[in-house]
Amino acid sequence: MDISGLPLLSIITFLPLAGAILIAFIPRGSLGAIRATALGVALVTWVFSLFLLLGFAPTHTPFQFVEVADWIPVFGIRYQLGADGLSVALVVLTTTLTWISILASFGPIRERVKEYMISFLILEVGMVGVFVALDLFLFYIFWEVVLVPMYLIIGIWGGANRIYATIKFVLYTLVGSLLMLVAILATAFTFQAATGSWSGAFDFESLRNFAASGGFSGTFQLFAFLAFFLAFAIKVPMFPFHTWLPDAHVEAPTAGSVILAGILLKLGGYGFIRFALPLFPDAAHTLAPAIIVLSLIAIIYGAIVALVQPDLKKLVAYSSVSHMGFVTLGIFIFQAQGLQGAILQMVNHGLITGALFLLVGVIYERTHDRSIARMGGLGAPVPVYAATFGFFVFASAGLPGLSGFVGEFLVLLGAFVYSPPVAAVAALVMILAAGYLLWMFQRVAFGELSEFLRGLGDHLTDMRPAEILTLVPLGTLVVVFGLFPGLILDLVQGTVATVLHDVGTGTAINLLFWQ
Amino acid sequence: MAWADFVTIAPLIGAILVAVAVVLVDMAAPGRRAPALVVSLGGLAVVALLVLVTGQTPATAFGGSYKVDALTTFLDLLFLSIAALTILFAPDYLEPRDLPIAEFAAVLIFAISGTMLISASADLLVLFLGLELMVLPGYLLAGFAKRDALSTEGAIKYFLLGSFSSAIFLFGLAFVWGLTGTTRIAGVAGALGAIAAGSAPLSAGLAIGLAFLTTGVAFKIAAVPFHYWTPDAYQGSPTPVTGYLSVGPKVGAFALIIRLFIEALGPLQADWLPIIWVLAALTMTLGNLVALTQTNVKRMLAYSSIAHTGYMLVGLAAWAGGRIEGLEGLLYYGAAYTFMNLGAFAVVAALQRRPGVTSSLDTFAGLGRREPVLGVLMVLFLLSLTGIPPTAGFFGKAYVILAAVQAGPPVNVLAVIAVLNAAAAAFYYLRVVVYMYMRDPTSETEPARHGGLVWTGLWVTTALTIALGLFPETLAEIVASAARAVS
Repeated sequence: MDISGLPLLSIITFLPLAGAILIAFIPRGSLGAIRATALGVALVTWVFSLFLLLGFAPTHTPFQFVEVADWIPVFGIRYQLGADGLSVALVVLTTTLTWISILASFGPIRERVKEYMISFLILEVGMVGVFVALDLFLFYIFWEVVLVPMYLIIGIWGGANRIYATIKFVLYTLVGSLLMLVAILATAFTFQAATGSWSGAFDFESLRNFAASGGFSGTFQLFAFLAFFLAFAIKVPMFPFHTWLPDAHVEAPTAGSVILAGILLKLGGYGFIRFALPLFPDAAHTLAPAIIVLSLIAIIYGAIVALVQPDLKKLVAYSSVSHMGFVTLGIFIFQAQGLQGAILQMVNHGLITGALFLLVGVIYERTHDRSIARMGGLGAPVPVYAATFGFFVFASAGLPGLSGFVGEFLVLLGAFVYSPPVAAVAALVMILAAGYLLWMFQRVAFGELSEFLRGLGDHLTDMRPAEILTLVPLGTLVVVFGLFPGLILDLVQGTVATVLHDVGTGTAINLLFWQ
Repeated sequence: MAWADFVTIAPLIGAILVAVAVVLVDMAAPGRRAPALVVSLGGLAVVALLVLVTGQTPATAFGGSYKVDALTTFLDLLFLSIAALTILFAPDYLEPRDLPIAEFAAVLIFAISGTMLISASADLLVLFLGLELMVLPGYLLAGFAKRDALSTEGAIKYFLLGSFSSAIFLFGLAFVWGLTGTTRIAGVAGALGAIAAGSAPLSAGLAIGLAFLTTGVAFKIAAVPFHYWTPDAYQGSPTPVTGYLSVGPKVGAFALIIRLFIEALGPLQADWLPIIWVLAALTMTLGNLVALTQTNVKRMLAYSSIAHTGYMLVGLAAWAGGRIEGLEGLLYYGAAYTFMNLGAFAVVAALQRRPGVTSSLDTFAGLGRREPVLGVLMVLFLLSLTGIPPTAGFFGKAYVILAAVQAGPPVNVLAVIAVLNAAAAAFYYLRVVVYMYMRDPTSETEPARHGGLVWTGLWVTTALTIALGLFPETLAEIVASAARAVS
């Protein structure tokens, strides 16, 4: 099939929207039709995203599948999409996790299925859009589009304390993103003031060239970078902006957690790599030491807090803080292995943590409980579940041969080149990670079957085929990427080279005398 | 006085004639809604046509005291839409409460002719006439439910503070007239330009005049700390009236600000910028903070409308900071705010169709399940009011913020204050969504049936709320040409 003539990125972005509109017209009672349509649309979107993988030529110019159309010409705002290797990787991750999440929601979501599926598909529009928008205004719009469906998903279908959690999620995100809006407008205006024309003022490529030619002054870079940083750091989330995450994760329905951990956290990392570093290299260099320290704190703090969590979901949530610390660490050491590792870690964390949340969801559906203390001895009654859980726990702990290892290893390698003490601190935490994960697994899976689980009797059934089906693709990818990380590294080599080149032009600003 | 003068003011005459015609029709067929609605809506459409036709050629009339330019055309069309939408939303609310529809429409159209006179004034006295013609029917409307104590209380507060502020405003005008020797806006600007060009500081008389004018206007737009009448007047008024009061007199007062501060007092912009800066910051912040604590949706929307005033003042400050985009943003925001706020009030009014239903948050509990379509539309309006893309409210905010950023210090600080306020506003707007979708209904109420008029109005506001967010180009060009007409 010849796909070269199709506006592939627009199709992938807006197909879910068409699906959402379609579902709006299905009567609310026909659950089967609603679920089938949602899954069908998500699968078709996924198939289209696979064409990106086939069609992408890593050796060509960074952005491919480019689509450009005028949108708001008075301000030079254009509908402009394009994908480089990083975009392709994250888009495919998004479309994959979306259909898995929708499939995983068939069982647990029985109330207001129609609204749920519509929210989920609109969420996909926003997520894919963020990864492929090359116009800053358009990027911001997709960025905010993500917010509303996630707010509804946590707030309507979440746990007992869902309203508090979802409002906290929205307010945190909104503060960051609105300041980013100011920074985007200021960036565009700086460009307009210098060139005398709005044309290209929101276009990423032209802004990038403008930045490379030293168009943004040091002071401007610092303010703009800080605004972008806040938006992205809240999304990642970096310490100390992470406090919304455990609440949101604990209260969100399973599929919401999967998407939250799998994709939404990646929006922050993507934003750093795509926009913050190339546009404001001087500021990035200036603030990198501080950000590296924050990343190390996140890595250590997340791991220590995970160690003492009594709740399975909270443990996985805090482990996310720790794992995402590796991502920001890898990004801000400005070094090839580090950046490669950060990107790998983003993809892997999406797969592994997504799977862990699915698995927590599976057990929660049977026990309606997530406390580690009440579990125990799951290995005997539900062997398939325990084995799958064990597999992903090991992957998350960074067992060599599974994908979790490669990303962290590359980040550590890069960190070692940057500064051995930094690498040493980060590496120590890998032991902690093994500690909290394996200890948790031991308490959940080994030993005598706990009183609580025994009380459940026949309700404690092993995984159903549909549940296994959601985990098989993730497990396969974890093994494949563990053995052949080159699959991703080849894809993103262009991105890594370009970003490092862009940020390499920057020099730290003297903060004491900046004007 | 020539024939051409009457052609120029044809839209204004038309609006007044429509109001009179509605009264006459009601006398001929008392209490029947159809004739009154046909005459008022049809009449407004004809007036809109007149506005478009006369707006083709900029002109002045009556010795230069009245003028038609791109700004007049833009604002008049906006005012006429406000009137038409309010008339669409009102009957379903008024009828069950035995309130007369024809009188409502007539009074409303008189008020709108006042706003049209403001937007076309080229003379300070005409400006004041327009202001009074706009606000006097407003007092009547606020007290329209005359057997309702809250409505009467709100109307009296509105009337007392309104008259008081009009007097202050007029006093300020007298100072300006005394110092410049003319009431023609162009003449005032010329005289002030000469004063501003000199190095002498502002004379005491001019400073006092400026202070009185600012105070009077701040009352009219409900800027903090001159906003105290707003919540009571808004909460007490019948809901469709509240919807009108939150947009009509507000945009009207901003029209007055444009004619007065930008056109007449423009040369003194450096002097009034600090005052507007402080007003904008206070208005945004206090309006939002108090809105956070409200449990009544109408009252919450009242305080939030104060906050929106603040965002529009940011645009004014950006203009004073030397960026015409500030005025463009103000106008864009005004249009966006009009449609999204009218839409939100229309949903509140529709829910209150049955007399006795309050506008407290509990009324909204479980709305998403009871009335799915109304729920979705309300979410859209609330998101737009919050400023989430891709809605009209978002682009309006982005426009104003862009202008503030362009204006440089100190106005760009307002941009940051504005976005932090927008984030805080998300809390109380989304709380309504929480009630609609995340709580169960407090009582088993049958979904009300809403008439075709309400739905028509809702779909129009919905379409505009989305279109102004997704396709802002057309309106952006219109407001740009309107802004060029005055500065």
